[in-house]
Amino acid sequence: MDARDIIRRPIITEASMAQTEMKRYVFEVDVRATKPEIKRAIEEIFDVQVARLNTANVRGKKKRQGRYVGFTRKMKKAIVTLKADSKDIQIFNEG
Amino acid sequence: MSKWTAAADANRGTLEFSIAQADVQKALKPAFDKNKNQIAVPGFRKGKVPMSLFMQKFGEEALYQDVMDIVLPAAYDAAVAEQGITVVGRPDIIPVSMDKGADWQMKAEVAVAPEIKLGDYTGLSVEKQDTTVSDEEVDAEIKRQQENQAELILQEDGTKAENGDTVVIDFDGSVDGDHFDGGQAKDYSLELGSGSFIPGFEDQLVGHVAGDDVDVKVTFPEEYQAKDLAGKEALFEVKLHEIKRKSLPDLDDEFAKDVDEDVETLAELKEKTKKNLQEARDEAAKDAFEDAAVQAAVDNAEVVGGNLPEEMIHEDVDRQMQQYLAQLQQQGISPEMFFQISGQTQESFHKQFEEGADNRVKTNLVLEAIVKAEKIDPSADEVAAEVKSLADQYNISEEQVKQSLSDDLLKHDIAMKAVVDKIVSSAKVK
Repeated sequence: MDARDIIRRPIITEASMAQTEMKRYVFEVDVRATKPEIKRAIEEIFDVQVARLNTANVRGKKKRQGRYVGFTRKMKKAIVTLKADSKDIQIFNEG
Repeated sequence: MSKWTAAADANRGTLEFSIAQADVQKALKPAFDKNKNQIAVPGFRKGKVPMSLFMQKFGEEALYQDVMDIVLPAAYDAAVAEQGITVVGRPDIIPVSMDKGADWQMKAEVAVAPEIKLGDYTGLSVEKQDTTVSDEEVDAEIKRQQENQAELILQEDGTKAENGDTVVIDFDGSVDGDHFDGGQAKDYSLELGSGSFIPGFEDQLVGHVAGDDVDVKVTFPEEYQAKDLAGKEALFEVKLHEIKRKSLPDLDDEFAKDVDEDVETLAELKEKTKKNLQEARDEAAKDAFEDAAVQAAVDNAEVVGGNLPEEMIHEDVDRQMQQYLAQLQQQGISPEMFFQISGQTQESFHKQFEEGADNRVKTNLVLEAIVKAEKIDPSADEVAAEVKSLADQYNISEEQVKQSLSDDLLKHDIAMKAVVDKIVSSAKVK
C-alpha cells in the first residue's frame, strides 16, 4: 500500500494536542495497516524518525434508524512517538 | 507617525495616524484570550482551543475587532500627544486600512479645544455692591423674629374676627345643591388673610363672632385646578368655632433673651443682628465681586475661530447633569424617580443645563489659558498643602485624597485658584 493511503488524517482534539509537547502525535490510519507499515509511512511522509508506535482499533458505534440497526465506520488510531532528535510534524504546529 | 489636518472650521480637524503591525501582533494574544470561551471547534471544549489552531482555521482577521479595541486607545493617545492638540469630546475614528502584515492606517475626526486670545485680565475695574446695612433692615429682621415668636391666643366669646386672626371652622361646600368632594372639613384652622382659600372666602368671615353660622358665597376662579368646579358659584355653610388672635411678644430684653441665648438686652440683639446681616452681605458682595471680575476677564478674552465646539458644551452639560443627579441619588432619589416626579424628560433636562454652559466652558478655557500665559506650575509642596487642606475639610486621610484625585488634577485646581486670585486681587473697585 502507498504511504498516503495508509495515513488518512491527523486527529486534532484537545487530548491529542496535549501530547504534542512529548513529541507524540495521533493519526487515523487504514484499519488494515500494520505497525511496521504505519511507521514506514509516517517517516516517509513527514521526514521524521519514529521511536514508538502504538495503535488502537476503534470499533464503530451501533446506530439504529427505526428497526434497522447498523454500525458507524470503524477505524484504527495510531499514536506515534517521535525520537527526541527528530523534527516536529508541522500539521500540529502549536506555538 | 501621524498627521494633523485642520478643517475649515478652526476647531476641528482630521488626525491621521497608524498602528504598528508589531503592536497588532502583540494584541492578538489578549484578543484571543478574550474570545476563546466563545469559540467552538469539534474535538475541543470551549476555551481549550489552542491559539495556533484558531489562527489556522479562522485567521487572525477574525480577531481584528478586539485587537482594535486593545491597540487603538494607546495609538490614538500617542498621535494626539505627538501633534500636541487638545482634543475635546469623543473622536470619530474610522479605520482606513487594516491589512494583514502591514501597519494599520486610521483617521480620526476630532474637535479640539479652541485657542483663546486673552484680553486684559489684571487690573480690571469691577463694580462692587453696596454692603451697608440700614437700621430699617435690622428692624425688619427683628420684626420677623417677633412674628416667629408670636403666640395664638384664644379670644373670648363675642370678639369679632379680624384679618390676621386664625379661626377654627367647620365648612360644607356645595355647587347648585351638590356637595362636592373635598368641600367639607371639620375643625379646620384657617388664617384669615392668608389667601390659602378661594378669593373672597376669608373676607366673608371677618366681623363674625365665635358660634356664628355663616353662609359664604364664592365663585371659583376660572383657572381652578379642579376643572368641574372652575368658574362655578359655590355656597359654603360655615360654622365658626373659635377665634384665635396672634399676640406678638413685646420688644424688650426678655424677648431678646428668648431669641438668642447669648444676648442680654434688646440693644445687644439689634447689634448682633446687624453684625450677622453685615457678614452675610459682605460675603455675598465678595462672591459677586469675584464672579464679576472673572466674568470681565472672560468677556475680554476671545475664542479664536468664533465658536466653541459643540462637543465641549455637551461635555459640560453632561457633567452638570451627572452632578445634579448624583446629588439627588445621595438623597435617595434615583434618576428615574426624579424624571417621574419633575415631569421632565432627559431632553428638557438637558436643555435646562445648556443655559450658561457656553459661559462655563469659555470661563474654563480662559482660566486655563491664563494659567499657561502666566506659567503657573504648582510645586509639589503646594500640592501637598492642598491635599492636606482637602483632607481636613472632608475629614478623611491624606491618602484617601490622593487616591481619588491625581496630582495632575490637584495641580490643575491649584493653578485655577491661583488665576482667580490673581484676577480678583488685582481688580479695582469701580
